[in-house]
Amino acid sequence: METLRQILSPDFLLRNSVYTSVLIGLACPLVGVFLVLRRLVFMGVALPQISSTGVAIALCVPMWLGILQPEHAAHSEHLLAFLGSTVFSLSAILVLAFLDRRRRGLPEGRLGSAYVVASASSILLLSKNRYAEVGWLDLMKGEIITVDNVDLILTAASLAVVVVSLALFHRELLLVSFDRAMAVTLGKNVVAWDALLYLLIGLTVSMAVLSVGPLIAFGFLLIPALTAHLFAANMRQLTIFASLLGGAVSFVGFCIAYRYDLPVGPADVVLLGVIYGLAFLAQKIFRLNREGRQPRLA
Amino acid sequence: MNEPFITLDNLAIGYDGQPLLSGISLSIPFGSFTAILGANGSGKSTLLKTLLGLQLPIAGHIGLSAPDGAGPVFGYVPQFTQFDPLYLVSGYDVALMGVYGRVRPGRMVPQSERAFVRECLQATGTQDFARQRFADLSGGQKQRVLIARALATKPNILVLDEPTAGVDAAATQSLMAFISRIHQERRLTILLVTHDLHLVRQHAQQVIWLHEGKVRTGTAAELLRPEHLAEVLDIEIS
Repeated sequence: METLRQILSPDFLLRNSVYTSVLIGLACPLVGVFLVLRRLVFMGVALPQISSTGVAIALCVPMWLGILQPEHAAHSEHLLAFLGSTVFSLSAILVLAFLDRRRRGLPEGRLGSAYVVASASSILLLSKNRYAEVGWLDLMKGEIITVDNVDLILTAASLAVVVVSLALFHRELLLVSFDRAMAVTLGKNVVAWDALLYLLIGLTVSMAVLSVGPLIAFGFLLIPALTAHLFAANMRQLTIFASLLGGAVSFVGFCIAYRYDLPVGPADVVLLGVIYGLAFLAQKIFRLNREGRQPRLA
Repeated sequence: MNEPFITLDNLAIGYDGQPLLSGISLSIPFGSFTAILGANGSGKSTLLKTLLGLQLPIAGHIGLSAPDGAGPVFGYVPQFTQFDPLYLVSGYDVALMGVYGRVRPGRMVPQSERAFVRECLQATGTQDFARQRFADLSGGQKQRVLIARALATKPNILVLDEPTAGVDAAATQSLMAFISRIHQERRLTILLVTHDLHLVRQHAQQVIWLHEGKVRTGTAAELLRPEHLAEVLDIEIS
């Protein structure tokens, strides 16, 4: 209770980190639902990693070119990271989606290759740049310690765009995902709607990677949607349950991490995993009970 | 009835610039019941996709115009097996998609359109199970819901892609009787892709038969003669 009282206090030093964490927890599952329904789970793994490579490049290249000196980099660091993350996320998702639409080759192979190449590239890029390496390692570990007001506003504004767009165009995005052929016969511009969905996914992933790192971003994209799918009866419930679960876990995870001095991101993901496991077991037990109660034919 | 609704003029269809069928010239009359027949891989689905605008023709021209000057409104009924059961949508949700073409993005679906969807569900006899999850319905029930969705588009042409595939015999008869009835009552042009010669003989007026890269058209009586069937199916008749 003392931990909770401290975190909820208006003077709490890390309050912006709490807000950011909860915002990411609420928003990631909203686009994660579409990744799960479109069976693009592997894209959810590769995309945050590619996004973090964008961050690594953005942090390294200006210093290599001598445009930015390490001692003056702190002010520009976040803007550079934001640009790198967003450009790489959006480019990657559009290219991968385009290749997927052509239905050639092995999509899982492409995504797996993108994942490992992105990971290796990040390590190579940062191995020669000690300054950038420190920030990037924090990102990989999911350390969300200091978030200033500008970063918080940027994150909130970006995620607000995502949430409002999804609320306004959920019907079209669902139709294009569920039955593309029907959407074409109804005169819908399926390429434009796909592009909008991918832009929203890319924007959310880039904001999540910047705030909580690639591993944790993937966790929030996938696990709340999968957990909610076990109990939801319709698409509205699926979306709302997944988002609320993500938001609640990010807050509880933050409390646990603060109380026991743990990194926030991994605490969130482990908590999500435990809840998913328990929910899965609960659903199995519920089903077995229900089947057991049904009358059997002699 | 004999006024052409769909006219194909020297059409070539296929994938990646490689024609599967070429030189297709035929017309489908307004208000007709036309069956497209052919073996697997003969190009039935490609022809259907090209007509629906899902893929571009390699060459030639497709003319579409109703006698009243209105453009075509397709009511497309795909095979029910293509839908991913992960989507948590009910039969009603699926049927409601039929009106999305008339509702602008970002706007709510008006009550009048929702009432119309309920009418379509009633017409197809699906209102009793429309609130159940689409993935949990039987093959015949899903197919009826998909027909309700197609009717909700207010179509002047109903395109059905093997609607009886995976549906049991009793449900097949009931489904086809329903399609024939709405064909007559609503003066809908029907385009039916099927393998079932018996159904074609019972319900279709015109047949488009795709066989070994060639397209034959004629009435059902002409093309389903035993001599023609023997030739196409490469069997001997005594």
